[in-house]
Amino acid sequence: MTIRRTLKIALAILAVALTSGAGAAPPKDAIVIGLLAEPVTMDPPQITDLNSARVTKRIFEGLVAQELGSYKLIPGLARSWDISKDGLTYTFNLRHNVLFHDGTPFNAEAVKFCFERQMNEQGPYYKTGTYPYVKGFLGNVQSIEVVNPLTVQIKLKAPLTPFLQYLAHQSLFLYSPDALKKYGKDMVKNPVGTGPFKLETWEPGVKVVLARNDQYWGGAPKIRQAIYVPIIEAQARLAAIKTGEIDLTVDVPPDSLDSLRKDPNITVAEANSSAVWYVALNTRHPILKDKRVRQAMNLAINKDAIVRDILRGTAIVSTGPMSPVYGPFHEEKTARYPYDPEKAKALLKESGYPNGFEVTFFVPESGSGMQQPVEMGTVIQAQLQAVGIKAKIQTMEWGAYLKKYLDAPDMAEMSWNPSIGDPDHVTYMLLSSDRFPPAFNAGFYQSPRVDELLRKGRTTVGDAERVAIYKEAQRIIADEAPWIFVDHGRQIIIHRKRVQGFKLHPNFDLVLSQVWLQ
Amino acid sequence: MAAVGGGGLPAYALRRLLLAVPVLFGVSVLVFAVLHLAPGDPAAIMLGAQATKEDVERLHRDLGLDQPLVIQYFRWIGQVARGDLGRSIPLGRAVLPEVLLRFKATLVLTTGALSIAVLLGLVAGIVSAVKQYSWLDRLSMGVAVTGVSLPVFWTGIMLIIVFALQLRWFPASGMSSPYGSGVGDVLWHLVLPAVTLGTASAAALARLTRSSVLEIIRQDYVRSARAKGLAERAVIARHVLKNAINPIITVLGVQVGFLLGGAILTETVFSWPGLGSMMVRAIQARDYPLVQGGVLLIATTFVVVNLAVDLLYAIFDPRIRYD
Repeated sequence: MTIRRTLKIALAILAVALTSGAGAAPPKDAIVIGLLAEPVTMDPPQITDLNSARVTKRIFEGLVAQELGSYKLIPGLARSWDISKDGLTYTFNLRHNVLFHDGTPFNAEAVKFCFERQMNEQGPYYKTGTYPYVKGFLGNVQSIEVVNPLTVQIKLKAPLTPFLQYLAHQSLFLYSPDALKKYGKDMVKNPVGTGPFKLETWEPGVKVVLARNDQYWGGAPKIRQAIYVPIIEAQARLAAIKTGEIDLTVDVPPDSLDSLRKDPNITVAEANSSAVWYVALNTRHPILKDKRVRQAMNLAINKDAIVRDILRGTAIVSTGPMSPVYGPFHEEKTARYPYDPEKAKALLKESGYPNGFEVTFFVPESGSGMQQPVEMGTVIQAQLQAVGIKAKIQTMEWGAYLKKYLDAPDMAEMSWNPSIGDPDHVTYMLLSSDRFPPAFNAGFYQSPRVDELLRKGRTTVGDAERVAIYKEAQRIIADEAPWIFVDHGRQIIIHRKRVQGFKLHPNFDLVLSQVWLQ
Repeated sequence: MAAVGGGGLPAYALRRLLLAVPVLFGVSVLVFAVLHLAPGDPAAIMLGAQATKEDVERLHRDLGLDQPLVIQYFRWIGQVARGDLGRSIPLGRAVLPEVLLRFKATLVLTTGALSIAVLLGLVAGIVSAVKQYSWLDRLSMGVAVTGVSLPVFWTGIMLIIVFALQLRWFPASGMSSPYGSGVGDVLWHLVLPAVTLGTASAAALARLTRSSVLEIIRQDYVRSARAKGLAERAVIARHVLKNAINPIITVLGVQVGFLLGGAILTETVFSWPGLGSMMVRAIQARDYPLVQGGVLLIATTFVVVNLAVDLLYAIFDPRIRYD
């Protein structure tokens, strides 16, 4: 009897559950975006992950901005700027009548406040956060001076050309000083910027709702609300986009792309990105220090097959650290390593290892931007085996891996998705001898000429000269093969047809200002 | 189960709660040691490839990670004793409100799963026992064995593919619609994760209920009850179930722990905003304060549930006294 009653109640609950779902449909002027995880923090200088960046870049802006779809710099909160001949003084003319979301004015004082909060360890607001990139991005800043309310001058200790690109990175985005003074450490969940959207609600683990900023200086966006929901499981993201529960998402299972392309309600938007996936080779290893051995390893790997069969076309084959999105800076004419096991064997014989050798090969189980590390590692291992190289795979969890990666492994998988649009940020960061571990040149690659070029590239002003510098560096790097160059991941965004005007950006950002809904 | 000493039920409960203090202290040492001794560094994970040596060192200093482990531990446990679980490393948020908020969602999920487990488990178990060796018995025990053996993440993904992607009866993820709200909406989202999480427990309960009922059903007093002409239904409800219930409650207590553990996987598959999915992310990021706070909360829950189970015995079995 009681059992029967319980059953009845259960059925009633189920019925309510089933019918209540039926009416839910996305509102006309709100876009729902399925991310892999919710933002970690909304305090710009504390952001280190892509999900946080994808949301907060709608709320905050920097002095300079990137043109949608490329790394070309355009005015942001600064209308214009001037760089002194010696490359040391940057003068920014700020936009007039820009207000933060709390109604306070944006001005030169705010710029000074935001940067000095991070830089000045004795400052009153330093303890309101931890600033992961401050030494890298602001370590070279000598002083910040307010010339007048709408002019700010930043003086550098030494010339650093990528600095202008740093200003387009979220950690140097600008927020309301009043809000920081009010919220302190809780700034992480109370973002107050100048951007086209402002935070409406954030239910941790459930959703982030951004509302249109009607006072936006660049004109209010067309959509009223942007709702971000975390969907961890790839199959669940796929289900949600197919059923129309969400309007736009990223990283669905590659196997599902073909069926998505055929779906009349769905658009698959694709573009190249600046990401790079590689296997770092230890150039101090007694065998791997020989350039010919490293070239042989590059020739032994069928990169086309990896891109086609494992990554299902979600990447392009890589020939060096820089992908084609770097435009004029990208060098096409480098040494190439087509799949050629015979030539690889010949090179190994020539360098004194006709019967191959044994190395350890570090592979993470998963990890940020690592694509399918285990499957790719297994194929690389098998193909090296075919030319006589025994690579013993050691698999690790990502957190542990990042530590072991900097511990001079023989060979190790890694990927890098530079959030800064300057070629310096991929070449110098990963391959300069200034960047030996604990920085990220884990293979201890050192080439005097490349070092010279990369240092010169950081201090040279003027694109023409820099293009020549980076092209030469790429040619040497390709020839000396400090990595097994594998692929550049493509960004793939899936959205419902009702989302119009969406355009991809090379650093995986999801820009909404120009988007409208049908 | 029955404790010695005077004072009755309240004193017993108080003693048990005091005993929880050393247990939780042990848990705190264990989780701290395991986390901090495991390879990985929150600063390195946050910074990624553009890290400079200066930034890593500075971040370590600002987070207090440059101190010896013992000092770090006592600094943390001192805070905990004052009711402050610290601040999450990457989130920058206070840990206590964060874990409590997430815990609510986990409670919703485990309650749903437990209801499904109890409902299915008891019904299947009783039916199997009463109709022993019938096709119903074989079927439900077959299903039970399968249910116990299926990993939660597999069941979850299968349910998503069938009921969310193909049939479109239920949503694939989350606890509420991005643009809807209300109890009905939450229930609609709860069905798949609760079934996923509850299935294995239902199966375990069904098997236990069956054997427990079978044992009682052969007792003399059950035969007497039948002999005096009581309806079979009354015999089962009044005489068999009442006596078979204690081992079932014990297992139910254990199942709550199992469900809290299983919730970690289920929440990840369904992006359920609970403690489990938060902990997975926190562990990946080596977010020490958040993981430690979460584990302490789970351990506390477990202690409390076990106490509640022990107290429930007395209600179901008057022979047990806490004095």
